[in-house]
Amino acid sequence: MSNTMLKAAAGFILLALLLAIPKQVESPYALHMMILLFLSISMGQSWNILGGFAGQYSVGHAAYFGVGAYATMMLMQARQVPPWIGVWAGMVLVVAVALAIGSICFRLRGPYFVLASIAVAEILRLSAINLTALTNGAEGILVTELPAFKLGERVLTDFSTKVPFYYIGLSLALLTIGVTYGVQHSKLGYFFQAIREDQDAAHSLGISISLYKNIALVISAVLTSLAGAYYGIYVGFVDPPTVLGLDLSVQIMLICIIGGMGTLWGPVLGALVLVPMSEALRSNLVTDLLVKVGLVNADSKVGVFLKENLAHAHVLLYGILVVLVILFMPDGLMGFVKKLARPRKQEVA
Amino acid sequence: MPILEINHVSKFFGGLAAVSDVSFSVEAGSIMGLIGPNGAGKTTLFNCITGYYPPSRGEVFFHGRRMNGLDPDKVCMLGMVRTWQKVRPLARLSVVDNVMVGALAHTSSLRTARALAMDQLRVVGLDHRADFTAGGLPIGERKKLEVARALATRPKLLLLDEVMGGLNPAESAEIIQLILDIKQQGLTQMVIEHDMKAIMRISDRIVVLTSGEKLMEGTPQEVVTNPDVITAYLGESHA
Repeated sequence: MSNTMLKAAAGFILLALLLAIPKQVESPYALHMMILLFLSISMGQSWNILGGFAGQYSVGHAAYFGVGAYATMMLMQARQVPPWIGVWAGMVLVVAVALAIGSICFRLRGPYFVLASIAVAEILRLSAINLTALTNGAEGILVTELPAFKLGERVLTDFSTKVPFYYIGLSLALLTIGVTYGVQHSKLGYFFQAIREDQDAAHSLGISISLYKNIALVISAVLTSLAGAYYGIYVGFVDPPTVLGLDLSVQIMLICIIGGMGTLWGPVLGALVLVPMSEALRSNLVTDLLVKVGLVNADSKVGVFLKENLAHAHVLLYGILVVLVILFMPDGLMGFVKKLARPRKQEVA
Repeated sequence: MPILEINHVSKFFGGLAAVSDVSFSVEAGSIMGLIGPNGAGKTTLFNCITGYYPPSRGEVFFHGRRMNGLDPDKVCMLGMVRTWQKVRPLARLSVVDNVMVGALAHTSSLRTARALAMDQLRVVGLDHRADFTAGGLPIGERKKLEVARALATRPKLLLLDEVMGGLNPAESAEIIQLILDIKQQGLTQMVIEHDMKAIMRISDRIVVLTSGEKLMEGTPQEVVTNPDVITAYLGESHA
């Protein structure tokens, strides 16, 4: 059997498994974890197109996430527009925002672009806090009930369980992976990477720098806004710090950087590592495990200390992980995996 | 008929005239050599021609079309492409992918672009390196990669900025042969080079720049026997 056929077969089996999970697994917690995983893959993959392929390190991707989330939630709350229609409005809005940001920020290179991208996201966050009439300010927008999703008269789902969110998340993750694959295997991918590697050389080879940077940004922003809208309807609540904050922008980047920028499976790998890790740290799982295997006595001073503090330390450990990855795996986990798979085959001796 | 006309082009950086009132034209199918001591304005002139700097004064015509103010990508699409004195490989892409980026200027099909890229790699003798990472190539092969990538954009005028700089004699000889082969195909070239022997051999005409100004223009024979050129290169006592 050829390599491609093996890969296709493995893909089909994995997809079948993923489709079957909600039928077999009842635990809402397990489904919740899968949903977080899909969300993270989507966010990381969206960033990958602009940051990983085109080499434009946006540290303001929360802007697009937040615009997608807010547009969908605001339309649902104020006008009772169902989210599957509101999300289109969000996408149109985010294209406008992205092009406005692109026309300003892409005049800048390197660190200046990074700073400008942070500034723009912060402007949006502060706007969301202060335009209270539109966004309900710092209190955020709460939508407790989603309208039932109907096809004709038939109710397909009323969103009473996590199962529909699971399938939406899976579709979104597959969409972002599919778009990345499409980019990678087209002229766009070549042009994006040429710009990343050497902008002046790319320019001399007939590539319009501003056009292709903006194309990368728009694709990336639209996918990020979908992830934002998905987050909004799943959680049912958005407020400025969670969907427009700098923390989120950094988190989006890290999924891709840790997983491996400019690769198809990097963000997937990044999400597979980061989601369980931050969940385990956040929820005392690590302490419980240490107690269970007998390394730490739950009632001892150490045990109590860990129980009280480890959950708060997840940001610190997150930071340490990033430092380790950057130091020892500059191409991310994917680069590390590739290196193991074929050691130095393509280097001139 | 001239393919490229440079009319009274000047480029100022603040008060400094890096290129000052330079005019000449390049005949289609010929090789024009551009020489001059370090800092004479050769690369600046290339940058003015290919859209990296707008000329402060004067005009550049390519195929009779005014090129002032066009961006480098437009210049390339119109058929004028340059290589870089300091090579600029797309380091983390493979050699063939580098050349494909050039080929994709005129096609959207990756298959066509790959075939075209392989053709160009064979022309410069790099096809055995196709799947290697471009950043790992030795300097001689990087210079060839620059040429292959530029050729893949299917130019009508190729501007080579010191493609022999830093090469050993054997490698230089290969590049000289390559430039002559390309000329055989009817491609016009403008070549900046410090290696006088090489430039004498390949050029149909030569323009000499010093301190941003055009010192003279002529056939290689006229250039080597001109006392002003010898002064510019070696100083007064040798003239």
